[in-house]
Amino acid sequence: MLEVIKPGLETSIQDWPGRYGYLNCGYPWSGPMDSWSFRLANVLVGNTPGDAALECQFIGPTLKFQRATVIALTGADMQAKLDGEPVPLWQSIAVNAGQTLAMGSARVGARGYLAIAGGIRNPVFFGSRATFNKGGLGGMEGHALKAGQVVPVGEGQGRAGLRVKETARPVIATDKRWQVEVVLGPNDDWIDAAGHERFLTTDWKLSSKSDRGGFRLEGPDWTFTERAFHKLPEHGSDPANIVDHGYPVGAINLAGQTPIILVADGPSGGGFINPYTVPQCAFWKLGQSKPGEVYRFQVIPVTEAQQRARDMAARCTHDSLE
Amino acid sequence: MAHEVELQTAGNMWKVLVKPGDQVQAGDTLFIMEVMKMEVPHEAPAAGTVSAVNVAEGEEGLEAGFVAVVID
Repeated sequence: MLEVIKPGLETSIQDWPGRYGYLNCGYPWSGPMDSWSFRLANVLVGNTPGDAALECQFIGPTLKFQRATVIALTGADMQAKLDGEPVPLWQSIAVNAGQTLAMGSARVGARGYLAIAGGIRNPVFFGSRATFNKGGLGGMEGHALKAGQVVPVGEGQGRAGLRVKETARPVIATDKRWQVEVVLGPNDDWIDAAGHERFLTTDWKLSSKSDRGGFRLEGPDWTFTERAFHKLPEHGSDPANIVDHGYPVGAINLAGQTPIILVADGPSGGGFINPYTVPQCAFWKLGQSKPGEVYRFQVIPVTEAQQRARDMAARCTHDSLE
Repeated sequence: MAHEVELQTAGNMWKVLVKPGDQVQAGDTLFIMEVMKMEVPHEAPAAGTVSAVNVAEGEEGLEAGFVAVVID
């Protein structure tokens, strides 16, 4: 019921929390990179917060509605126009059958979300409609949207004219700098004191070689504790090598000397250490940052990360609408 | 009439294929950006002469909307 005129840059169907519970089989969670904006888009149109909706990255799609419905756009400002008229973000909007929504470049932020009343109703695969584009599963025939496809949408009870309160919206950085929370470990004991100090006081630049699988960071070299050098041969020859183990979602994975944050579509395991992990509550910042922007990392306790995730979930409800 | 070719996305400049003075046809690739490990080619909207190239290969952290090439 939603016709894809132009697909944009890897625009994909996602749901939240995604394909949760199959990491042990090698299936990543997938799901939206900025689940805060994503959930609020769904709430605006009367869906459950985790319903399937579209994630638009850097260059948005052009879509034609085959029947009247209610939509909402959140997250990055992608200069969306409905039949040529600018569409406000963070509001539910009525659209008529035959109208065309054209999204452009992400100006503030990197990823915009489009929710449609009733939610997208592509087939469920392993408990989720989320797209794992590189793996070829979920979404539309396993992949991101392609021109000419028709995306199925359910029947919804959306109401136009609702807004997300300013105080409930994520504040997307406009100065190219982000403070990103991390929790220690699981392999923090492989990094020496100077290495930790350097990690937490460096401006880490986001590489353009970053996608929904991993966010590659550019910065200084790492230094290690003795255990990184004096280990059994099965750990591998590089100081950052370890016997293959499971990777947490959000792990800051040290591939030799290059840290790569393993995000929504990242690998579930391998043989590099993970000195820090970005918790779920800070993922949205990764999702809205652009190549060349800078991260500063700040350690918080696991309990605080969990509390922040609960606070975010509490914000992604009807109580945040006006 | 001058045509300004704006960056369609934030990202890095991977390849610049034209220089000032070059003649281009509509649809010719002018430059290729890189974002999310993908190439994003930008094409000439019309035939003409390249009068300005405001980007260089290897430039990082470019913003969408920046006027990269002007064709007269």
